Amino acid sequence: MRNNIGIIIHREFAERVAKKSFIITTLLMPVLMLLMMAAPALIMAFSTPSDKHLAVIDESGVMFSPIEEGTKDIEYLTVNQVKAPLDSVIADHGYDGVLFIGADVVENPRNTFLYLHDAGSMEVENTINSILKQKIEDTRLRAYNIENLQQIMAEVEADVHVSTIRIDDDGKEESTSSTISMFIGMAMTFILYMFLLMYGQMVMTSIIEEKNNRVLELVVSSVKPIQLMLGKILGVGLVAVLQVFIWGVLICLMSAFVVPLLMPESITSQVEMMNAGTLDMASGVDPDMLRAVGMFTSVGYLATLFGYILLFLVGGFLFYASIFAAIGSAVDNIQDASQLQSFAIIPIIVALVFSMSVATDPNTSAAFWFSMIPFTSPMVMLARIPFGIPHWEIWVSVVVLYISFVIMAWIAAKIYRVGIFMYGKKPTVRDLIKWARYK
Amino acid sequence: MNIIEARNITKKYTGHMALDDVSVSIPKGTIYGLLGPNGAGKTTLIRIINHITAPDSGEVIFDGHRLCADDVVHIGYLPEERGLYKKMKVGDQAMFFAKLKGLGSKEAETQLKQWFERFGIMDWWGKKVEELSKGMAQKVQFIVTVLHRPKLLIFDEPFSGFDPINADLLKREILKLRDEGATVIFSTHNMESVEALCENFSLINRSHNILSGNVAEIRSRMGADNYKLTFQGSPEALFTSLGDRVLRHKIGAPAETPQGLTYSAELKLQPGTPMREFISLANEAVDIVTFDRALPSMNEIFIKTVEQSNAAADVAKALRAN
Repeated sequence: MRNNIGIIIHREFAERVAKKSFIITTLLMPVLMLLMMAAPALIMAFSTPSDKHLAVIDESGVMFSPIEEGTKDIEYLTVNQVKAPLDSVIADHGYDGVLFIGADVVENPRNTFLYLHDAGSMEVENTINSILKQKIEDTRLRAYNIENLQQIMAEVEADVHVSTIRIDDDGKEESTSSTISMFIGMAMTFILYMFLLMYGQMVMTSIIEEKNNRVLELVVSSVKPIQLMLGKILGVGLVAVLQVFIWGVLICLMSAFVVPLLMPESITSQVEMMNAGTLDMASGVDPDMLRAVGMFTSVGYLATLFGYILLFLVGGFLFYASIFAAIGSAVDNIQDASQLQSFAIIPIIVALVFSMSVATDPNTSAAFWFSMIPFTSPMVMLARIPFGIPHWEIWVSVVVLYISFVIMAWIAAKIYRVGIFMYGKKPTVRDLIKWARYK
Repeated sequence: MNIIEARNITKKYTGHMALDDVSVSIPKGTIYGLLGPNGAGKTTLIRIINHITAPDSGEVIFDGHRLCADDVVHIGYLPEERGLYKKMKVGDQAMFFAKLKGLGSKEAETQLKQWFERFGIMDWWGKKVEELSKGMAQKVQFIVTVLHRPKLLIFDEPFSGFDPINADLLKREILKLRDEGATVIFSTHNMESVEALCENFSLINRSHNILSGNVAEIRSRMGADNYKLTFQGSPEALFTSLGDRVLRHKIGAPAETPQGLTYSAELKLQPGTPMREFISLANEAVDIVTFDRALPSMNEIFIKTVEQSNAAADVAKALRAN
């Protein structure tokens, strides 16, 4: 009996890790994640908008030249001013569309219309909007007849960016950015959400399968049911840990060796200057961007993040897998499980949704309590950690989570012990509670 | 010496009593039949003996001491409903179960290979279980049940799913294990195999042990004063001659034989009728061809005992209701 739990863990672990699907997802996921992160930039880089050739009917007589000027940096937009009735120009398919500018456009800026033959694009609309807005504002300003207007405008313009500096309990200063913290928090939460659902359900379905093909009857003749249940949870959990660990190592390696190669030297040196505190913020660089780059090239920081993910992944998984195990033991097939499963899935989803709001303001009292309650704490805490919350909060949350696992596993084992021999009837929650109370 | 002494076992589930004060003693080195209708409580009793479930009250003595978790390595249990991990290879799976029973890797492998050779299934070693037929999988299950040489073997319907040839192979293996010193608990609905294999049995019905004992002894006790007589001559003359010594009789249609019409009769005699007197009276009336005791089959004993017990229970229930 003694080391049987080890044999069970070994079987559960080996069976899953040897699968091709595991190897493929483990190796491909980091690549996919990086692609997803880089996707917006890549899409921008690779998709050149199709050229648009517009006709302009400018009844105000003051807008045409600014549009012409504006198109200088926008290669894909060429315009021709035409003086013809609108209907006939629209009918002329030599143009992609017609921009109609009303005579009273300065007083009534909404009197502009864009007629297009094919689908509109936000790009074109935004370009036209901003050019017209600028021109109309200029025209209106000019109406006040202020002297040296151009010079005043240039002097007044300001580029504002607040640099947030967090002072931790030791009085150490650390420059932070809420935006980056938010994104990192959400990303970690989402990874955890995926793992809790995927691996939790894996425990459940595999118990249902064992029960279904009656191999359970054979196994429990040599292993105590609680050992079998814990062995399965730990075996599957080890697979999850291995996967996250491999991802962490891959991403750290990439950030140490691949990212610096891809990064232009100017940015790398700016990051170094920022870290050294010598960067001139007025030089027109985007500090958020630099900070993000700094984080992705800081192996130590990434490793810490993965450390936190592992800590909460293990605790959260053990806790939720116990619930999933109890449900799996009670039912005969996946269909019957769907109803009971909601007891595990709904809190996970609530935690995910709540984490998103926590990621915008991590310091509310609701955020604090949700990051302590074991049902939501793993995800909500991960969303808060990047903001640099006090360490004691993290440790209290971890301790509560792991103690809750022990309690939940104890209850689950009682249900499991009875559930695995119950066939036929679809159990209700009341049944599960009754089973948990059996001697 | 008994390997199992189950004393006053009671187990209650919500809504029904699975076992009510059941006691069973299983002598070492014998094959013991555990019989009973479906839902009588046999599987619950087996699970309790196997330390899978705990009784509400009562105790199980295993080999002289109170049954504990570590005894499980001395027990091999082949459940009625049994399966294997479908996606796992046969060899890996057999090794997994062998290790659970406490065998080391090397030992498990050599022993398994011997069994696989003996059963002629060595080429299944690397196959996935889902590729095997039901009977094939049953063989693997049998091997992993007996591999660790347990002192006590529990087989629940071991022959289901086997063709006659393989069932016979299995029967020989079970007898061989018994001869090597193992005790076998054998739960089945196949009463012929009980007659062929079991020394002792218990009959469980509606959570009670309603009949326990030695197979031969109970058959002869239940068959006391029952005789089978084949004769030539007039049945009327026979019954006149025997008078009220015959309590009940059943007589079949006569068969035409070269010696003439032959009748076959089953007779239940007045208890205590001397054999000599009976034979001489019968001999005066008809020509006796054969005369033998009519032992009831286990099948008859099963049906009769269960029906009597059910009737008695129903009467008791009706009385209580009034």
